[in-house]
Amino acid sequence: MRTRLPVVLFCLFGLSTLQLGCSTSVDRIAVDEVTDLSGDWNDTDSRLVSEEMIRDALSRPWLGRFTAKYGKPPAVIVGEVRNLSHEHVNVGTFVGDMERELINSGEVEFVASRSERDEVRDERRDQELHSSSATAKAMGQETGADFMLKGTINSILDTEGKTQVRYYQIDLTLISMADNRKLWVGQKKIKKVVKKPGLRW
Amino acid sequence: MGHPLIRRIDVSRVSTNQKGGFRRFGLSSFLSRLFELLLPVIFISASGCVSYTLNKAEIEQLLLAQQPELALEQLESKKVNGRNRAVYLLDKGMLQRMQGDLAGSNKSLEEAKQLGTQLSAVSFREQSTAMSVNDAMRSYLPPLFERTLIYCFKAINYLELQQGDAARVEVLQLDELLKQNDGFYFPFARYVSGLVFDFNNEPDNALIAYRKAYEAYLERLKPVPVLLKQDLLRLTDYLSLRNEHQKYVKTFKLATWPRQVDVRDNGAVVMMVFNGLIPRKHSQEINSQSFNDGQLYRIAVPYYEKRTALVRSAQVRVAGSPLNTQALSENFAQLDDFAEAALTEDMPKIIGRAVARVAVKNTAVNKAVDENPLLGIVLNIATFVSEQADTRGWYTLPQEILISRTILEPSVDQTLELDLHGSGNPGARKNWTNIHSRKGQMQVLSWYWSESIVTHRTP
Repeated sequence: MRTRLPVVLFCLFGLSTLQLGCSTSVDRIAVDEVTDLSGDWNDTDSRLVSEEMIRDALSRPWLGRFTAKYGKPPAVIVGEVRNLSHEHVNVGTFVGDMERELINSGEVEFVASRSERDEVRDERRDQELHSSSATAKAMGQETGADFMLKGTINSILDTEGKTQVRYYQIDLTLISMADNRKLWVGQKKIKKVVKKPGLRW
Repeated sequence: MGHPLIRRIDVSRVSTNQKGGFRRFGLSSFLSRLFELLLPVIFISASGCVSYTLNKAEIEQLLLAQQPELALEQLESKKVNGRNRAVYLLDKGMLQRMQGDLAGSNKSLEEAKQLGTQLSAVSFREQSTAMSVNDAMRSYLPPLFERTLIYCFKAINYLELQQGDAARVEVLQLDELLKQNDGFYFPFARYVSGLVFDFNNEPDNALIAYRKAYEAYLERLKPVPVLLKQDLLRLTDYLSLRNEHQKYVKTFKLATWPRQVDVRDNGAVVMMVFNGLIPRKHSQEINSQSFNDGQLYRIAVPYYEKRTALVRSAQVRVAGSPLNTQALSENFAQLDDFAEAALTEDMPKIIGRAVARVAVKNTAVNKAVDENPLLGIVLNIATFVSEQADTRGWYTLPQEILISRTILEPSVDQTLELDLHGSGNPGARKNWTNIHSRKGQMQVLSWYWSESIVTHRTP
């Protein structure tokens, strides 16, 4: 029994060390640093797609033609971006990234989406009743969108054992509100290989 | 080791999948010795499983009394350790949906789903402990039918919340799971997929899912529900698949079925009744004593009790409509069949581990007897008592899933009446008021009725 005592003590020490290792740790990192943990769609994918798609959209001829014809930047509204992929993708952050890139480019104006408009209109109605006439904003002065941006996020999975290939395809289309013409179609593809661990503690 | 390895690759590159596989591990002599030494400590910690099982019995009584809110309080009142975490989350998700917290239910079920994925990796530590004490020392890894139902219930929750795209995500993941287990036929899961695609107005994908549901019913030698037959007739007709449509007309011999135009121009309510409670597992023990040295031996394996739901069918009708317009439910899933099949499939492994455990435990006892006979006796009793079958399971599941579909004319403020037949309880009826039906819109409603009796508790 005496020879076993060191082994037991060693085990207890090991177990207590593992318990200590379970405490929370936080590391602040740059937002553009790639951090892939689970292999699921994440902030890096959202950012990469929105940056590249918008860069592509702004470099195509539709923008120059519109500006030359009307002498003003086009007004764009974001329509529905449907998530048809295998994952619960937060479409809101993806759309937010795209809006930011487009507005910050200075070449496109954005108008509020359907849900945002309702809130703004409620506020305007409220202003008519409660604000001074000098500061109240009138109804019927909204800017109508020239184009609507719509899209889908699709995915294909290929799995064998613990290894999975995840392929995402993001399609965006810019549609003219005046005549339904599609003036730009953008596509971005992302492919990842995810290997799940075969072992755990 | 805990996180998956992720490699981002250029989409233009062609990749070939590596074949997955399990590594096999042997118990090293050092670890064998280590677990032998730690055995008494582990026996003490194993007592947690007993309290968890007792907690389950209290929850069952509350469910039989139709009190899911108290059952959830009861569940959350007990500390649940790591190895029972998955089954705790499954029960929590189910109890949350029973009281209408669908978003909370999805959160719990998603956590259970992720945990199930993590737990599918082999734990050398847990396997070794299970070989030394009992199977319940391992983390609860939901069997395939339970993992399939996680996706189904999440999809149903999303449908009830009118979030078609989110429900679609679940059925795509479900399809991936079923693809990985192509010998597993779960018609209800395929039918739920069809409902989700129907909900999202994707008739081609809905037909594929309904076809797979039909094939799964045939494969399992179960009667095909009339609703499914109607869906197949409706969609093959709409998609102009004439040969397939004619085949279904001849096979099903149905006089009428709703056309796609009826679905497009009316609303529909799909009513799901989660009927009864899935049977519980119990432990069956075989005990013996050695003639030579008096050592006690025990092998314990789980078995399912037999249970019967009292409600036999459900009827749905719009308040004020003629009696002949009520929709009768059909049984789409008999979940106790899946539970028993899963246990039967797992039984050779359970018995193998139990026999190996007897050898491990008795080796430890023999060594202890050599050093100190009294310690040997204590250890023998401890190993004997600790030999318990793993009786954990997702016990808040229903035994049956009854489904009906009611076509509603577009209108506001309709009242739907649900009557459950077979229960003597006057509370076995429910009304849904303020139902707004719109053209082409499907609404999913559900209720649970846990009333059931155990008809056979012996192995």
